[in-house]
Amino acid sequence: MKRTSIIIGIVVIVVIVAALVYYFAIPPKLERNIKVGVIDCYTGPAAMFSNEALEGFKLALDEINKEGVLGAQIEFSKRDTKFKVDIGLSMAKELVMRENVDLLVGGISSAVALAASDYCKGEKVPLIIWIAKSERITGEKGHRYVFSSGENTAMFGKAGGVALARKPFTKYWIAGDDYEYGHAIANAAWRNLKERKPEVEKIGESWWKVGEPDLVPYITAIEAAEPDAVIFCTGGGSMVNVMKTTKATGLSDKVQVWIPTATDTAILRALGAGAPEGMMGTSDYLFFHPDTPANREFVKAFQEAYGRHPSFCGFHGYITAHFIAEAFRKAGSLDKEKFIDALEGLKIESPVGEIEMRACDHQVVLPIFMGVTKQVPEYDFFISTDIETLTGDEVMPTCEEIMKARGK
Amino acid sequence: MGIDLAALASQLVVGLSRAMILFIVCAGLSFVLGVLRVPNVAHGSLYMIGAFVAFSFFSLFGGSSAGFWLALILAPLVVALVSLIAERALFCHLYEREHLMLLLFTFALMLIFGDLVKIIWGAEYRSISAPPFLRGSVSIFGASIPRYNLFLLIIGPLVAIGLWLFTNKTKMGKISRAAAVDREMVGLIGINVSWVFAGAFVIGCCLAGLGGALVAPTVSITLGMDHTIIIEAFLIVTIGGLGNMWGALVGSLIFGVTHSFGVLIWPQFAIVFPYAAVVIVLLLRPRGMLKSVW
Repeated sequence: MKRTSIIIGIVVIVVIVAALVYYFAIPPKLERNIKVGVIDCYTGPAAMFSNEALEGFKLALDEINKEGVLGAQIEFSKRDTKFKVDIGLSMAKELVMRENVDLLVGGISSAVALAASDYCKGEKVPLIIWIAKSERITGEKGHRYVFSSGENTAMFGKAGGVALARKPFTKYWIAGDDYEYGHAIANAAWRNLKERKPEVEKIGESWWKVGEPDLVPYITAIEAAEPDAVIFCTGGGSMVNVMKTTKATGLSDKVQVWIPTATDTAILRALGAGAPEGMMGTSDYLFFHPDTPANREFVKAFQEAYGRHPSFCGFHGYITAHFIAEAFRKAGSLDKEKFIDALEGLKIESPVGEIEMRACDHQVVLPIFMGVTKQVPEYDFFISTDIETLTGDEVMPTCEEIMKARGK
Repeated sequence: MGIDLAALASQLVVGLSRAMILFIVCAGLSFVLGVLRVPNVAHGSLYMIGAFVAFSFFSLFGGSSAGFWLALILAPLVVALVSLIAERALFCHLYEREHLMLLLFTFALMLIFGDLVKIIWGAEYRSISAPPFLRGSVSIFGASIPRYNLFLLIIGPLVAIGLWLFTNKTKMGKISRAAAVDREMVGLIGINVSWVFAGAFVIGCCLAGLGGALVAPTVSITLGMDHTIIIEAFLIVTIGGLGNMWGALVGSLIFGVTHSFGVLIWPQFAIVFPYAAVVIVLLLRPRGMLKSVW
């Protein structure tokens, strides 16, 4: 009798231990596939960047879905916002209400991103912005449901301010595209430059409409004012125009020019051998730097899939997918709140090393690479050289500053 | 304000050179408006196609100087061919429709052309370079003016002279002018109006293609070029006088020069100047600077 009791006791203990081991060691399975809604601009000049972000995203999904996420796959549906706030909002609503997506990603337009962010806050749906650069997205307008997987104007502006403060220039002219991004970059760069070097003087500003085809009158007027350096705050299609015009007028040879995305691969590739040399620029991703196995592997996979080197957008799309997969693995559930908890402070390995989704403001912590444009024999387009790396922590506003901006 | 005469003179030169591109595009739009009475919203798309085709020819010839010149000649011809197909297949059935229908139809065509460009050339930015002797800048009045802008200052008047010779010295041009004034009468005297219209449409669109090819070395060739130009083009033909080609020249000069002077006078708000000029012209002369054929 005693022996039987011992055997039963052992069996019970074994069963309990096995159940516990099963519960804790075997990851939970997701009940269905993860559905991601992509809202981005696939028409007009911005489409080049949005397409590439989606390509990077798809490349990562191919890798992730081979292994799966807790027994499930990541699926996505995309919608074209046409760079318009009203269309972007309708698309976001449609994906959330009709397609029942688990989260939204995308957004090249800061205006669309801010509107979608407001909507997602109300609906309690996570949103990850991958290109739009307004610092307000995760700054003063940030909240629990919005994340940014790319650098922002505060980071670029600070990097530019730090770089320019080391130069001997005092007389500056600021010019750029007359929209949210242009002014945000200008304010951030000037604020940081002035803090580090109070003697700098802004002798003038000029702002042109987005997509302005003829920049020559602006450049000749700037040249006539004889600044020591010019900060151009342009994005998208204007980048090619401004770089062509500074070269054609010879401005880039006479004064130092800094443009946040001057060293971006997509822009320099479009310009080919016609890019201006010695232009200072800032980027959070370069396909040739850092020269690490992880970056080489990403570039190789991207080239095999799309036949060209990735620029920052492809990189952003790629890391966004990996953040999503890791966060769901960590959350172990499709629950949106658990996903957000898991994504906060999440660290993943990326082509540029370990990166983190900062918990306090949901802004990704990325290194920023500053450099100058130069032609090198290896490529038929210019690349960024004399690269100086600033870590994410060096260029990001502190959590206290973010909370202050949010009025908390 | 500390604006010196040298700066004013250099802004005048760059303003005039922009006006030349605008003139070439707007003359085509105005010609089509005058002869066919079609407000062709897709005119901007043909300008964009001209730039993309110029890029393709330029790339085909390895980015050489010869490639640039061939692109400049062949791109407008390709656009002419595209417009001929569009005219014979679509437009020629719609001339009798009211303007609103035509406006909607050409708007639809603009969207279709935009998507076709995306399918053929993709969404990437494209760029071409001018031949070496047109690159760089020359110093005029102490300011650096790109050589290419000076080249545009030569091309613009040549196109204007060519158009004047065509409309005044050729039979086709004279018939087109007559059709602009009274198309029924032209038909009644036994002239095949359908082919006159086709010819006028192709010439107008060819000018859009030429404008696109000419602007290509100075800008990024990208989707959305059509939207930017078409708004300006309609404003220019309106202030110049609808359907009047010389009105297009006057309108382009007003638009280009007020813009470049605006940049010098008040750079933060330079965008406003050409539009303010449009408002002033329309307040003073509601039917445009020169005689409208509408």
